[in-house]
Parts: sequence; structure tokens; C-alpha cells
Amino acid sequence: MPTATEPPSAPAADRFQTSRATLVVDRVMTWLIKAGGIAVILAVCGIFVFILWQILPLFQGASVSRTGELALPAGSKPMALGIDEWGEIPFVVRADGSVAFIPISGSAPTTIAIDGVGAAGASAVSYRPMTQHLAIGTGDGRLALATVGYNAAFADNVRIIVPELTSGGSFDLGEAGRPLRAIAFGDGGSHKLVGAIQDGADRPRVLAAILTETKAMAGPGKIELGARIDVTERFAGVPQTVLVDERGESLLVVTTAGDVHRFRRNDDELVLQQTFRPFADLADARIASLNWLLGDVSLVATSASGANRLFSLFYQKELDARGFAQTKEFPPLPGGAHAYAPSVRSKAFVLAGEDRLSLRYGTSAAVRWEKPGAPVDLVALNGKYTRMVTLSGDTLQLYDLDDPHPQSSFGALFSKVHYEGADAPKYQWSSSGASDDFEPKLSMVPLLFGTMKATLYAMLFSVPIALLAAIYTAEFMHPRFRTIVKPTMEIMASLPSVVLGFLAAQWLAPLIDQRVPSVMCAVVLVPLFAVVFGRIWSGMPTRVRVHIRPGWEYLAFVPLLLLAVLLAWQLGPVVERLFFTVPDGNGGQLADFRRWWTATTGASYEQRNSLIVGFMIGFAVIPIIFTIADDALSNVPKALRSGSLALGASRWQTAMGVVVPTASAGIFSALMIGLGRAIGETMIVVMATGNTGVMDWNLFNGMRTLSANIAVELPEAAKDGTLYRALFLGAMLLFLMTFIINTIAEVLRQHLREKYKTV
Amino acid sequence: MLPIRQRLPGESRVWLTAMGLSIGLAMVATLLGVVGWYGIGVFWPKRVIEYRVLEDGKTSQVAGVVVQRRSKIGTKGEPIEEIQLYTGNRETYGLAFRYLAVPSIKEAPTPQNILLVERVENGNLIAYPNELISLGGQTVKPDDPTFTPRLHALLEEVADRREEIYALERHEIGKISRRLNELRRSKQDSDAPAIAELEQRSTELSAKAKELRKRQNEHTLAVTLPTGEKKRYSLEKLIDAYYPNQLGTMARCGRFFANIWNFASQRPRESNTEGGIWPAIFGTFFMTILMSAAVVPFGVITAIYLREYAKQGPMVRSVRIAINNLAGVPSIVFGVFGVGFFVYFVGANIDQWFFSNKLPEPTYGTGGILWAALTLALMTVPVVIVATEEAIAAVPRGAREGSLACGASKWQTIQRIILPASVPGILTGLILAMARGAGEVAPLMLVGVVKLAPTLTIDGTWQSEDLIPFVHLHQKFMHLGFHIYDLGFQSPDSDAARPMVFATTLLLILLVLVLNLTAILMRDRLRRRFAISAF
Repeated sequence: MPTATEPPSAPAADRFQTSRATLVVDRVMTWLIKAGGIAVILAVCGIFVFILWQILPLFQGASVSRTGELALPAGSKPMALGIDEWGEIPFVVRADGSVAFIPISGSAPTTIAIDGVGAAGASAVSYRPMTQHLAIGTGDGRLALATVGYNAAFADNVRIIVPELTSGGSFDLGEAGRPLRAIAFGDGGSHKLVGAIQDGADRPRVLAAILTETKAMAGPGKIELGARIDVTERFAGVPQTVLVDERGESLLVVTTAGDVHRFRRNDDELVLQQTFRPFADLADARIASLNWLLGDVSLVATSASGANRLFSLFYQKELDARGFAQTKEFPPLPGGAHAYAPSVRSKAFVLAGEDRLSLRYGTSAAVRWEKPGAPVDLVALNGKYTRMVTLSGDTLQLYDLDDPHPQSSFGALFSKVHYEGADAPKYQWSSSGASDDFEPKLSMVPLLFGTMKATLYAMLFSVPIALLAAIYTAEFMHPRFRTIVKPTMEIMASLPSVVLGFLAAQWLAPLIDQRVPSVMCAVVLVPLFAVVFGRIWSGMPTRVRVHIRPGWEYLAFVPLLLLAVLLAWQLGPVVERLFFTVPDGNGGQLADFRRWWTATTGASYEQRNSLIVGFMIGFAVIPIIFTIADDALSNVPKALRSGSLALGASRWQTAMGVVVPTASAGIFSALMIGLGRAIGETMIVVMATGNTGVMDWNLFNGMRTLSANIAVELPEAAKDGTLYRALFLGAMLLFLMTFIINTIAEVLRQHLREKYKTV
Repeated sequence: MLPIRQRLPGESRVWLTAMGLSIGLAMVATLLGVVGWYGIGVFWPKRVIEYRVLEDGKTSQVAGVVVQRRSKIGTKGEPIEEIQLYTGNRETYGLAFRYLAVPSIKEAPTPQNILLVERVENGNLIAYPNELISLGGQTVKPDDPTFTPRLHALLEEVADRREEIYALERHEIGKISRRLNELRRSKQDSDAPAIAELEQRSTELSAKAKELRKRQNEHTLAVTLPTGEKKRYSLEKLIDAYYPNQLGTMARCGRFFANIWNFASQRPRESNTEGGIWPAIFGTFFMTILMSAAVVPFGVITAIYLREYAKQGPMVRSVRIAINNLAGVPSIVFGVFGVGFFVYFVGANIDQWFFSNKLPEPTYGTGGILWAALTLALMTVPVVIVATEEAIAAVPRGAREGSLACGASKWQTIQRIILPASVPGILTGLILAMARGAGEVAPLMLVGVVKLAPTLTIDGTWQSEDLIPFVHLHQKFMHLGFHIYDLGFQSPDSDAARPMVFATTLLLILLVLVLNLTAILMRDRLRRRFAISAF
């Protein structure tokens, strides 16, 4: 530092240069902040992308790719084709009564003969993939049963599969010596049903037999042939093929004319239940193929003229019983189907047509995959629905199948679907059921409807209160109260919705359950009190009116509010006795709103209903609408208000005629944001409704919303399954709805803020 | 001259709008009042009343605490007053709650010498004490002045020993079992002597615990129930005993605060319907801290980026709108994202890389407090971004420009001028985010909250899966909001759960209220300081 005697030193040459450290730090922090900021923004967008990625597989079709070929070893004609659940060892049933297993890995094929077939050979074979049962009709009129099995052993984490064949016995079915042309078998446990077509002297005869199984303590039971029935005389027409369902209850006979006759087993007798013609409306009504879908409740029929239809068993009013009727029409398959294989996991099936191979899905009536090409003789799908094998001549073609969500498509999710067993198409959401072959019904429509219903009732309750309160607070209330009212409303907004849901379910619902007429009276009385009192009060002389100064009305109204509510509470039972009575069975009248509602409207009444839910979601939404509407109204320039008052308008006229129209965009945006909040409300709906997927506007029953559905079902959904992805789709719908609504509202708000910038 | 009395047009409709505000305020007041009343009422010790009831010609006696009154509409439409009584003694009566029709009550005296005993299971015991029997045969009768002090002393001894047994079994033996599991899983022969030693230690400790348990049964309390039966209870299962009808006002206040303290500090029992909610308080607290630790840095950095570094234009405006809207997206959507991404994707991969020896049992591939905190952080990041942006925007341009004029770099300006001035705004945003995170339950249901967590996420054990010692980020936790949902909705005994639910609700509301009022006050102070336009 220069002292008084020294001359001042020259300023440093680099005094204007920034220190390196500062520059380095600046650059590092700039980079860090940019990276961090962009990362967070990407993460936020990533939510949308991730959910989208999870739901896309729902809308994809199947992809099938050929993986190889296998030559069939020499032998007699293949009559049926099957494959194990892992897709590694397909087998063919040959005409000489043996089963050849050909591993695709290339190791030596195994051949096992079926007991009971003998020299006569197999003239008809029926293979049921679900239970892996084989039913063989021999050339000399006998029936042989066998079951294909696969023993999986693990050595060093490698799976080794050893195929085996278990015999189920052989039985004399029809006339000895004549071959059986078609055979069908259904195992209903203690009773099994067999159907067969046997060459007869003059024409083919249709035979049926009932086998009984006596269970042994250990090991398989003893199967014995019981009644044998010839049903040829009971129907008209030349039999073409027979089908038996998996429960051993029905026998279907298909004739060459295109009729299907359905016989039902009644103890030891077969009774003709129904005759129908699947292709009656076509010129050529012949049936090319008729097969069961998984579950044996629906039939896939193809006609020689190329039509493909699905027939299901359900209650028909005309028959006053269950019967088959057409439920779906598929895209045509020219020439009908030569071969058919069902999936044992879903309602998917493969048809081999004249010029193509087609993978179709029953419930959605859609073609999931198709490949044009030469016709194949036989086709099979494996148990896991991952491999397909076809036989043409002596070559086995192997395919890999990738179709994780066969039942899902845009139609299945958003339109009415005619599910098996139902009598009409409908929207339904039920994701799980008691039995293994339950078909999950995943329609988004009841959930969307539920969300709309909850939102509608919530807005119906909250919008009037919130808007009236906002107008009062912004226009008429004394400004000193703003410091109390605004925080109180913010507190209302901050109450967790789980608390609201709990109070709705445990306190409000039981309270209101028996007092609905009181609520109705309150809804009428409270506004009535307000308007009537206002009218009377404003007509009073000034010396009376000074007691309630302008801006204090809301406080003065509180005792009136309490009085009105109390009066309504007491009046409720009276009103109930006057208007809502039902006959009580003893000649008198019982006053009970709930029973009156059910009796008069036919709709149900539940304790936890839309009234409660609407009220509580409204509670959550009121402060949101209030805050934003209040902001919008407060931001209207004071000049407009002053001008209107100066011209002689009353405060009401100013408010309604000048301020509210000016702030209408802001009020609209407030409504939108409140709507967005109501749509996404989860906890209140979970706790205060029955979560039933009803699709009606009934005020007194519950609903199932998108959000509550996700909360309840996602913990149990298997990862990457169809239900899991369907729930993600629900989340995406919620996201899109609220995002769009909020964007519109936000854009309006920004616009308004620009217009009325106060600073 | 114009008449002074003029009817202003529309005045009656002004009253209609006033009605709107009154209803809104009344709703808030009613809700808070209901929760407050029922919540506080849970802790206030009530009298036990003995009812002599005449029903169907038979007189019977039942004693209990009045829980609620209600009026039912009877079969003929006439209103019937009923009281719901908590009678305790669940293992004897089968149920602990009874409804009595008021007209059937003949007498309702308040017996002085009835004892209320809190127990480990089966709820409370309400009975007349007969004698206190100790090992060795000595008995003390209730009219003896040493009865009550001796009872309390013995109960305290039993309680201390109970804690000792719990610590022994849960912590010591638990630690040893966990270590044994790890050693056995690694399947190395060199660990055999260590395994043997641990097993022996474990046997020793178990024997010690057994010995202690035996000592718990040394004393018995013999009682007569209000219905007349005589029963005996070992002190092992008893926690606390007092004469509810003998308490004076001061004693009742004391018991009131003791109840509140127990509620906040004890673990739950009886499938969450009794005991305290300390694990839920801890879980909520810890998760909120984790969430804040995640949300503040990211929120602030993004806000600084948007405000200071990004080129202002339509792109940034749309990003801002998008972030604002994200605050309005339902919380369940974030929960879905948390499950799909954090738990099943990131967590499963972490398991594959680091914990493959424990597969198929998931460590991080299932819900846990870490994923819950990250999910909620993602949900509340927009709130923090918006609040920080507003705070940064409010710093006067003069301060900024002055700093740059003095030669500071951009980062130095941010670090020394802007951030310190924005800290109150950032804090406001943080507090709002915490309030929102503490109250949201829907996303947590999917990512890691459970009804009953056996251990806290921070305790004295250092597990091999911990990233930070003693902090188990992979564990599931309990949460106040979920506790309310579970108790109110899924409890097997909803009558018994009612008091717990109201008390928990009161606590959660108080927590959220305190956070929000703090945020509001801070924001008001800020607004007065910088006079910005309406938010």
C-alpha cells in the first residue's frame, strides 16, 4: 500500500481481467444448471412417454415368424397334430394307431403305439389340447382312449422333456368290423360322453356312448362302458361330423346339408335340444368346419363358401332355455377351414384356409395375423401360446408366436363387446373371476362413465357455492375480512383427500342414510332463507339496516344458515311421511325414502352413493374454484367498477353486469381447473363408493372411476399382463384429460393476466 | 324529495352470494370441528357407567364407556335413542361394543371402585378388582391402601421387562438371524465356525428371553366382571390400570396428556386399533424429509435454468405451462409411473446388478421408502419450480444489474444476490410441497406403504442392502394418511378402530394445517416486501 511519501503505483495492467477461478466456476455451474434443468424437464415429459410405452402393446397385433422345418419320419398318414406346452416336442397321431414324437432340437423321434387300436388302425382321431386327451376310432368299430403326457426333468438348469402316453382303455362302440369315420369325446369326470359316426349298411350311423368312471382310492379309476345310444333316427340329414363338449353334456351332430343338431345328455339318455343352421342366409349353407373355442361354450364355424362365424351358448328368450346363436362375424376365409387349432389360454384360434393361414380372436372378432400360402393339413398351438406348428405333406413348419395381449384391441377396450354367455353386447369391467377360464372383461367405458358421473355431481354441488362465494368475496365483502377468508379457503384446499374420504364414509354416509328428505329440504330452504331475508332486509328502513353493514352479510347469515339447516332436519321426517311412503305389507304406509326410491325408480339405493361422493369431492374442489375465480374478479380494473357505480348502478348490477362478464374468462378457467381436480380424485371415491361399475346416472348408487380403479387393482395386477397395461391406459386417459383441461385453463389465465397487468 | 328508503336492485341476490361464502366457511368449520371434537374426545378419560337394563323381561347388568349416541328409526317409524357402549372384555363377551336402547335402561350408577385396565390384547378390561396375588401366595385386597401403589409398581416392572424382551428378541436375536441368513446364503465353508458361534449365541439369548417371560407371569390380578363372572389375569398381559370414576379434574388432565403421549410414542397393537402410531409418524416424517431432499435441488436448478439461462420465447413459455399443468395431474398417475418405472424397472435392474444372490425375493424391485419419496418428489417438483420462479422473478432488476455492473459473473450474481433473496420463496414452495406430500395417499398405496411395518426404516441395524448405514431405503414404511385409509376402510373391527382413526386424522390435519399456515404467513410477508401482482 503506498504511503504518504511514495508516489502512487501504476494500476495493475490486468485489473479488468476476471479471475480464472471465477470463470471456471461460472462455466461449470452453467453447464450443471443447464443439464439439471433439462434433465428435470425431460423427466417430467418422461412420465408421458413411459406410460405411452407401456400401453402401446395393447394395440399391437400378433407377430408370427417362421423358425424352421422338420421332416416327418416315414410312416402312415398323420391324422392329428399336437405339441407340448413349451413348444419343443410336437407329435403326430398316425393312421396305424401310433403316436410319433419329433423333438425340434433334432434328436431321435420316439414312437409309442396306442393300446387297443391294433391292426385295424385308427380311422378317426380327436385330440383335445386342453386336457391332452386322445380319442381314437378304430377301423373295426372300437374306441381307444389315451392321454399324452410330458415329464419335465431338470438337470443342471436344463429342461429335459420325456413324452409318454397313458392308455385310457378301449371299448366296443358300434357294430364290430365297420370303421368309425368321426369321433368326439368329452370327459365330465364321473360321466364321459363319446360321439362317433360309423359306416352303416345303408348310410352312416351316429352313435353315442356314456362311459362311467369309478374312482379308486389311489391311481386312476376304472372306466366302464355304460349306455350306448344310436341317434341316427332322431334327426334328418346325412351326418358329416360330431362334437362333444368338455363337460360331457352335449353332443352336436353336423349334417352335410349344413344343419347342426344339439343333443343334451340327461342321465343316460340324449335329448334333442336345438337344431340350427349356421349359414342359413347364404346360398351355399354347407359347413366346412365346426370347432370349439376354449371353454367349449362357443363354436367357430366356417362355411364352404368362405364365411366365418362364431356361435355362443346363452339364454334365448324364444327357446326359454340356453341355445346357440350367432354372436360374431369374422372376415371371410375363402373355401372354409381345412384345419383348426384353439389356444388353451384365450379365445384365440388358428384356421388353415384354402389360400391362407389365419390367427383370429373370438371375442373381438378380429384377425390378429394372416399369411397367404398353400393350404396346410394340420395345425397346432402350444399351451403357452408361444409356438405354432403346421403340417403340410411330411414337413412340419415351426413358427414363433408373439401375441402377449390377444384379447385387447381398440374395440375391446372402448366399444360394446358381446362376451361369452351374455345375451347382448355390453360395456363391462370385471378383471377377475372365480374359475380358471374366466375371460377378463376390460372395457374402459364404464370407468370413463364413472369418472364423468362423479365429476358431474361434484361440479353440480361445488360450482354454485364456489362462484357465489367468490363473487361475494371479491365484490361485496369488506376488505378487512380477506385476511381471514383467503387463508381459510386455502386450508380447505389443503385438507388431505384421505381425510375427506374417511369422513364421507364413516361420518356423513351414516348420518344422511336415513335423512335424505332432510337434505332435500335443506337444499331448498337455505337459498330460500337467503333470498327471502335479503328481500325483507333490503326493504327495511335505513335505521334498521345499519345493524348489518354492507360487507358483513355473510357473518349475519350464519345464524340464519344454522336455523335453516335445523329446520330442514326437523322437517325431513315430515316430508318423508307426506311424500315418500311405500305400502308396508300390513295395509298401512311406511315412510322410508330409500324404499320409496327403489320402488318408484327401480334403481338401487346404497348408503355410500353419489350424493356423498359429490358432496365430498365438491368440498375438495370448492376452494380451488373459489381462489382462481376470486383472483380473476379481483383483477378486473377498479376503474370499470367505479365507473359503473358512478353511473348509478347498484352493487349487484355492477357485479353482474360489468365485473363478472369481464372476468368471465378467468371464471371459466377456474371451472376448468376445478374440473381437472375432480376428475383425478382418488381417495374419496375409493373410500366412499361401493366401487361398482354401474353405468347409470342414479344419484343413490355408487360408481367406479378410472382413478379408484387403478388404486384398487394395480397392486394385484401381474407385471406386463393385459390388466396391468389396461390400468396404465386408464392412467394415460386421466393424464390426457387433466392435461388438456389444465392447458386450456392456463392459456386463458395467461391471456387474462396479460390483459389486466396491474403492476 | 326522493324517499330515503330506496330499494336497491338486486340486494336480495347479494344475500344469495353471501350464503355461498357462509356455506363454504361453515363446511370448513364443521369438518374441523367434527374431527377436533371426536379426535380430542378420544384422549379424554371418560367415566365408566354401570347400566341395569330391562330387556325382554330380563334384567341384566353391563358396564362400559359411552362411545356415541344415535337415534334410529324403528320398525314403526318412531325414533329410538340408542347409546353405543364400549364394554371391553372382548375375550369374555365375544364383542367389545354393545348398543343399548335408552328406554330399556332402568338405572345408571357410576361405581367408584370399577377398574379400567389397558391390555396387550383383547382391548381393555373393565371389572371390579378382587385381589392381587403374588408368587408365593401373598394377596392384597383393593381396600388395602397399598393395593394401588403395589399394582402400579408391579405393572411398571412388567412393562420394563416387556421392553427388555422386545429389545432382546427384535434387535439382538433379529440381528443375529439376519447375519446367519447372509452367511448361509453365501454358502462358504469358511463361515462354518462363525455360523456355529452365532447359533449358540442365539440359543443363549432365546433362553434368556424365555426366562424373562416366565418372570412376567409371577403376579395375577383377580377380578369380578360387571356381569358377575370371576376371572384371573396374569400381569404379563396388562399395561396400565386406573379407577376412571375416581379421577379428579387434575388427574383427568394428567391422564389426558399421558394418553396423547402414548398415542404419539407407542407402536400399534391389535391390528392397528390400539396402542400408538409412532411408526406412522416416523414414516411420514422421514419420507417427507427424503422427498424434500430430492425435490429442492432439482426444483431450484430447473427454476434457475428456466428463468436465467434458457432463451425466453415460445419454447420456454410452453415448458412453463406444461410444468404448471403437471401440478394438476392426478396423483395416482404419478403412482402408476412410480410403480412402472421406479419399482419394476429401476428397482428390478438394481436387484439384478447388486442383489442377484437374493433373487427371486426382491430388495429394491418392490415398493420401499426410497421409491415412494422419489415418486412424491416428481409429483411436487412443479410446485417448487413455480414458487422458486416467482421468487427469482421478484428480485428487482436493479439488484441484478448492479451486481453485473460490479463485475460479477452470472453464477456469482445468482449465488450471492438472487438465491439469498429468493430463499423465503423457495422455502414457501418447499413447505407447500411438503404439505402436499404428507397428505397424498393414492400414489403411496402403490409404491411402498404397508399397514404394519415390523421395523422402522432407520434403526440400529446395518443391513447389507443399505446404501447409507443404518438407513434402510428399501424397506416398506407406515404413513399417517395410509393409516387412516387402512383403519377406516379395511379394519376388521371398525368400531374399535374409530377412536384411532379420528385421533390419527386430527394429527394429520394438524400437521398439514401447521405447514400450510407457515407457508401462507411466509408468503404474505414476502408479498408485502416485494408487492408483486396477484399469484
